[in-house]
Amino acid sequence: MSQRIDSSEPRQLGSGTVIVAAGLVLSMVAVVLTAERHVTEWSFALVFGLLIAAGEMVQFRVDRVRNRAPIATSAALGYAMLRGPALLIPPDPAQILAVTAVATAVGIIPRVVAALPWDAVVSSRRVLSVGAAAATFSVITPRSMTWDGSWQHAFPLTGAMLVSILAAAAMDALVGAGQATERYNRPFPSALRDEAAVAARIGMAMGISGILLAAGTSLLGLWAPPLVVVPLLLTQFAFRRFANAQRTYRSTVRSMSRTTEVAGFSAPGQNLRTARLAVALGNDLGLTPKRMEALEYAALLSGVGQLALADPSPGGASLLRTRDERRKAAEIGAEVIERSGVLDHVAEIVRHSSDAYRDGRANNPDIPLESSIINVATAYEQLAGAGDRDSAATAMESISLGIADEFDPVVVESLRRVVGLGFRF
Amino acid sequence: MKAALRRAALRALVLVVVSAAAALVVVCLPRLPNVATFVALCLLILAGSALSALHGTLYVRLAGFVISSVYVIVGRSTAIVISFVGAVLLLRRPVPWAKRVFSIATRVLSAAGGAVAYVALDGPVGPEVFDHIARALIAITATGLANQLVNASLMCAYMWLERGAEPVLAFLNDVVRPTAIPMLGYSYLSFMLAVMWLSGLWVFAALLVLVPLVVARWALAQDEAERNAQAATMRAFIQVIETKDYYTRGHSERVSRGVGMLGRHLRLAPDRQQALEHAGLLHDVGKVGVPTSVIRKPGKLDDSEWDAIRLHPARGVELIGDIPFLEEVKSAVLHHHEKYDGTGYPAGLSGTRIPYFARMLGIVDAFDCLTSTRSYRPARSVEETLAILIQDRDTHFDPDLVDAFVEVIRKDGWKAAAVEQPAPDATIQISIDHDDLSLGSGGGATGSAAGPAS
Repeated sequence: MSQRIDSSEPRQLGSGTVIVAAGLVLSMVAVVLTAERHVTEWSFALVFGLLIAAGEMVQFRVDRVRNRAPIATSAALGYAMLRGPALLIPPDPAQILAVTAVATAVGIIPRVVAALPWDAVVSSRRVLSVGAAAATFSVITPRSMTWDGSWQHAFPLTGAMLVSILAAAAMDALVGAGQATERYNRPFPSALRDEAAVAARIGMAMGISGILLAAGTSLLGLWAPPLVVVPLLLTQFAFRRFANAQRTYRSTVRSMSRTTEVAGFSAPGQNLRTARLAVALGNDLGLTPKRMEALEYAALLSGVGQLALADPSPGGASLLRTRDERRKAAEIGAEVIERSGVLDHVAEIVRHSSDAYRDGRANNPDIPLESSIINVATAYEQLAGAGDRDSAATAMESISLGIADEFDPVVVESLRRVVGLGFRF
Repeated sequence: MKAALRRAALRALVLVVVSAAAALVVVCLPRLPNVATFVALCLLILAGSALSALHGTLYVRLAGFVISSVYVIVGRSTAIVISFVGAVLLLRRPVPWAKRVFSIATRVLSAAGGAVAYVALDGPVGPEVFDHIARALIAITATGLANQLVNASLMCAYMWLERGAEPVLAFLNDVVRPTAIPMLGYSYLSFMLAVMWLSGLWVFAALLVLVPLVVARWALAQDEAERNAQAATMRAFIQVIETKDYYTRGHSERVSRGVGMLGRHLRLAPDRQQALEHAGLLHDVGKVGVPTSVIRKPGKLDDSEWDAIRLHPARGVELIGDIPFLEEVKSAVLHHHEKYDGTGYPAGLSGTRIPYFARMLGIVDAFDCLTSTRSYRPARSVEETLAILIQDRDTHFDPDLVDAFVEVIRKDGWKAAAVEQPAPDATIQISIDHDDLSLGSGGGATGSAAGPAS
């Protein structure tokens, strides 16, 4: 069961490689520049470096593909926005990047030694966005501006810090959206919208903590980092718990979807394959993360209605049965899913997942697009899913025959693109 | 202490505390700072209280959080008055009036306790804090401790006079102990709020300090929603799987409840308790792989049919293997049909080599089976079943766990399967349920529970 739903293999020279390379080059240049000019304010560089390294060490997995290290991000952003009176010479952008890069590397070493998962792409993305924040802050904030206790300085400084973390967030969202577009064939605008939504929540918590750290340190010197440890730890703890629960929930739904396989109603891996294709189609059509999640669950669970039917059909091919039977199974499945009380939107998708296009979405705009996606994904999986039952081309041919009658034209177009770009089960 | 005396003492306590608090507020009123600062602080604490009222447990923290910063920003008198303003929202709570007034007064006196500590340790007030950071930190630590101490003592006194010693101990154990350290952490954060306020940001400093807290709180609320969703989803699936057999409907949920009772009795840690309840819910999930015809078959099963049934624990583990449960959940599902004397399946483990959770599951599983109707016999009464468990306590089960379970059931009672189950079929004479105690190595009737009770 190591098969993953979104396991598109990173291609040669994919976006991940580009991001890591960019991060590495930037770090290298920064380290060389800093070595030439000598490090200013050693103690601050050391304390913030330690904080970044510690944060990197306790990174955790947020979803299937991404790790996060909120403490490291806040610490790096904080270091990028230091000013007097505590510091006579605030660090320049090169030094900020050098400290971030070296500390990140130091934080990763223990994870490598302990064989824990770590994520070079996420670390490189952080280096890039910290660079954006550092550059922005040093450009818009004159050196004479310090935390001298007057509102005439405090407000412009805070404003500059907000602009800087926005620059960091924008940089991160652009890079992330580019990556999503390249890896999952998502349309760039919807990928950007999703990244911005993430930045508005967890990103804001990390950015504001960074501001607090920077302002506090500028005012109190090195007393401040331990005092800000509470919001840092709390953010870390809360998001870690949240990420764990989300992962547990997803794997629960996936495991439960396999009950139909264990009961002999569907072929091994069938649900997972259908879900992978449905997710690829959803990505291609640019659905929001919430809808993507519902789509994935619905695809996984679309067969559960069969559990209530008497006998398994051979090979689990639902196409072999009559439409009425399939619609009945879909209806029962929807009822089962509704019973959980938390997946009503998923139930709605499953309910219409066996409707032919002409009886369903063609005339009833209330039926979700996701139902059509699952209808097409199920059909394609049955034709081309288990190895050599049918080649991809013939399967595509059969599906095309059903356009506008059996299958939603929009989804079939999407399937053509996805298969054309190299989707294989 | 006699009840009447206790009531009188309680009334006296409320009277003393409330008058002391009222006097304090009146004394402090003339020493307020300028109007703008005072109004800003009032808005801040009201916002803090209202926000925390939405999220239960954060209540004290956010309100106390703002008060701690007031000591540093403008000084003790304002802190006391502000604590009164913040506590006014407590009037909305649906409890007796005496209690509402008392809790407001408690807030005021706690703030006063903090004020005494802050002044005693010579904590700096206003911009001079930037020159005396270490002293300010020591004072703020003591202030946080004093605040908690006064608050907890008054609450304990009230609870003791009202309901005796037991709720006081529970309060100290469940509320004070786990929150003491985080509260101290929060008082350092409120020091940061004061610092940012004094840096020139004024009341807008609160945005910087509160936003991360609110976002973290949002994430925790989401976490809870995900957990509930997971439980609901598992329950829905179990119900579908149980539709295969009319007689076992609701069995998994009852077993989950039963092991839950046993686990609480044995005082398991919260995460293990939850894992145990999950194991109870999921223990028969592998039955989905047993053909319906075998499950519903009225009469003796042949060897291949028995093999299908004996496979269900392994099937269950195969199904839930990818869910990041505690490892104990999986081992419990796998071994819930082992017997203490080593005659169970699938591994034939004996004694304490059977995983702890699996031993618990085995007892509750058998108990629920016996107290439910089967096609070949009616349901047994709870007492009758407990007697059977005790009789089999050395052969089938872990004797200590049986004793614990019998104690729990006798103490808390048991809600057996509903009677809506179909009546037993009088024509069937042979025991077939895989959970029935009579299930020996070959499936024949061997235990003392075999055969209809006569």
